[in-house]
Amino acid sequence: MDLFLKYLTLQDPNVRYVALATLLLGGVSGAVGSFNFLRKKTLVGETVAHSMLPGVLIAFLLSGVKNPYILILGAAISGWLSILLVDFITQQSKIKGDSALAIVLSSFFGFGIVLLTVIQSNYGGEQSGLDHYIFGNAAAMTPDDSTAFAWVSGLVLLLVLGFYHSIKSVVFNLEYADAIGINVKFIDGLISFITILSISVGIKAVGIVMMSALLIIPPTAARFWTNGLVKLLLLSGFFGALAGWLGAFVSYSQVSMPTGPWTIVIISLIAFVSMLFAPKRGVIYQRWSKLLLKRRINEENLLKTAVQNEVRGLGKLFNRRSISQRQFFEQRLWNRTVRRLRRKGLIKKVHTGFTLSTEGRSYGAEIDRRHKIWEIYLQRRMQMSINLVHDEAETMEHFLTPEIEAEILGELGLCSRFNPLLEIHELVPDNAINAV
Amino acid sequence: MDAFWIIVTGFLVASSTGMLGNLLLLRRMSMMGDALSHAVLPGIVIAYLISGSRASVPLFLGAIIMGIITTLLIQFFSSKGKMQADAAMGTVFTFLFAVGVILVTKYAGEADIDADCVLHGEIAFVPLQTSSFLGLGVPSPVWTLLGLLALVQLVFWIGYKGWLITSFNGEYAKSIGIKTAVWHYTLMAATSVATVVSFESVGAILVIAFLVVPAATAYLITDNLKRMTLYILLQGLLSAVLGYFLSEWVGGSISGSMAVASFVLFAGSFIWSKKKG
Repeated sequence: MDLFLKYLTLQDPNVRYVALATLLLGGVSGAVGSFNFLRKKTLVGETVAHSMLPGVLIAFLLSGVKNPYILILGAAISGWLSILLVDFITQQSKIKGDSALAIVLSSFFGFGIVLLTVIQSNYGGEQSGLDHYIFGNAAAMTPDDSTAFAWVSGLVLLLVLGFYHSIKSVVFNLEYADAIGINVKFIDGLISFITILSISVGIKAVGIVMMSALLIIPPTAARFWTNGLVKLLLLSGFFGALAGWLGAFVSYSQVSMPTGPWTIVIISLIAFVSMLFAPKRGVIYQRWSKLLLKRRINEENLLKTAVQNEVRGLGKLFNRRSISQRQFFEQRLWNRTVRRLRRKGLIKKVHTGFTLSTEGRSYGAEIDRRHKIWEIYLQRRMQMSINLVHDEAETMEHFLTPEIEAEILGELGLCSRFNPLLEIHELVPDNAINAV
Repeated sequence: MDAFWIIVTGFLVASSTGMLGNLLLLRRMSMMGDALSHAVLPGIVIAYLISGSRASVPLFLGAIIMGIITTLLIQFFSSKGKMQADAAMGTVFTFLFAVGVILVTKYAGEADIDADCVLHGEIAFVPLQTSSFLGLGVPSPVWTLLGLLALVQLVFWIGYKGWLITSFNGEYAKSIGIKTAVWHYTLMAATSVATVVSFESVGAILVIAFLVVPAATAYLITDNLKRMTLYILLQGLLSAVLGYFLSEWVGGSISGSMAVASFVLFAGSFIWSKKKG
């Protein structure tokens, strides 16, 4: 806890760079990743990140120093080459996109591993730390690295803001963007450019093998909470920043722990929690609302059938058997539905069965009314056969809202208090409709 | 003799994973191979920690289970969790891989496994663990890999027709009553096993080079599935030999060099297929 406080309050000057850098990195890559996420091209990041290994190493070999700007440049160039190569392979041969990604990824990475092992055996102290690029080590970051991060983050932010509308159009509707005169190729290249840029600065902190996750997972998590692009970008950036910052803390508190894997574990947990608990799109919410819907449908079916039985002169008393003649209820389902309806005061228990309360009767009648309105609508406006309308209406009766109902009645030219309750299935026969 | 066994190992890895890669390629699931090779890592580490040894039955079991779990998780995330398919895959495998790397770092001392091993394996150590057979010192990984090759060939040729139909026309296969899901999971399980067996020699990340590149090379040269198989074996052999000498020449990682050699062969077949039109 003390350690966490120390990390939080930035007392240790080294921590300042690390915390700032990982925060920026997570934020930027989360936001940038959103564009690739929305274009369903998330796995491009995986290939680009792996393909940067040889670039970093060649940049080191050529310059002989571990200057962050030079290494970033090297990484960016080889990342760019990998994208070009993937495009070239898919355009010039029958190899499909995902295979091309896998081919380029493995070849570049294999080449990088060869270079790395050669460098490790031929260079002494000055090469040490190059292997951090593979699994990432935020603790080894220097002030220079942080400054480089800040510059690149600023540049990415500027580009996104400057071209926001064009990027948005391209991401959501390529054809439309093309049609309204946006230079799609340029924007396409721009998205690739900012992707490469953020990956190339990030690999030192989180590592090549993990970097792609930092582009994929934050937008995936954020998508559960929002439908808007701006919110998605912000939230995704926030999740990324949070994970980067916490991941760096783990790495800081336990010296041998690499930053990348912890960052990814944390962001994955955020994604899992989002998937389960997010309102509207979360798994639990969806399950719950489905259950509620099922319950409501059962209750409404029971009430409706009871009302219909009353109208048919079968008496006010009902039980499972009398209802099941028209609407089958299994014993357990019956018990549960009846229990809920009694609790709501919609039905009452009398010694040999159940009766509807006043509210229950009007509720059931309302459902029956909607059923018939929909039947009439289908028959008169959609020219559907009388034999088919009932099944359709069985479903629709649970979903008709008062607004839709009013509109339908208006269109059919019926008064708003139209009550077909007493005329059960007294619809116009098919041939009469055909005659009109 | 060391060189010979290293090349044999490389060839065996490339040829058995290449056969599976062929199926992955035809089913447009190459990146799924990448995902699986990453995702089985925690399974490998846990199996090492529990059994305390390498190349054992629990390891294969662990791999199969892990492979199926990965596939199921991806499926769950995309269907129940409503994640878009590529993001579900990306989330699941990077998460599992991260857990694997953390375990490796944490238990590096105990499990005889380290980060380098994850990256590019220890193919150079293959000749060190020999057992005698007909007066010949045969390294034990070679036996395991031979077993893998036999298994892969068996699965491939027994299911030949099924693979063919499910790969080219999934809907049609479903309509005539072929259980496409069974084939799907068989392939995923086989890929996981191949990844684990190859893990020791080429590492978790470079496996993808052996999975996809030989298959892609052969795919560019021929359309005939049988001939494709032959070319995959040939490509595996050539890249193992060339890769070995490349690594001798530059003094770098052997498995990395084999991946590079493999790509050079791919580039060759790419140019050949372009010239032929």
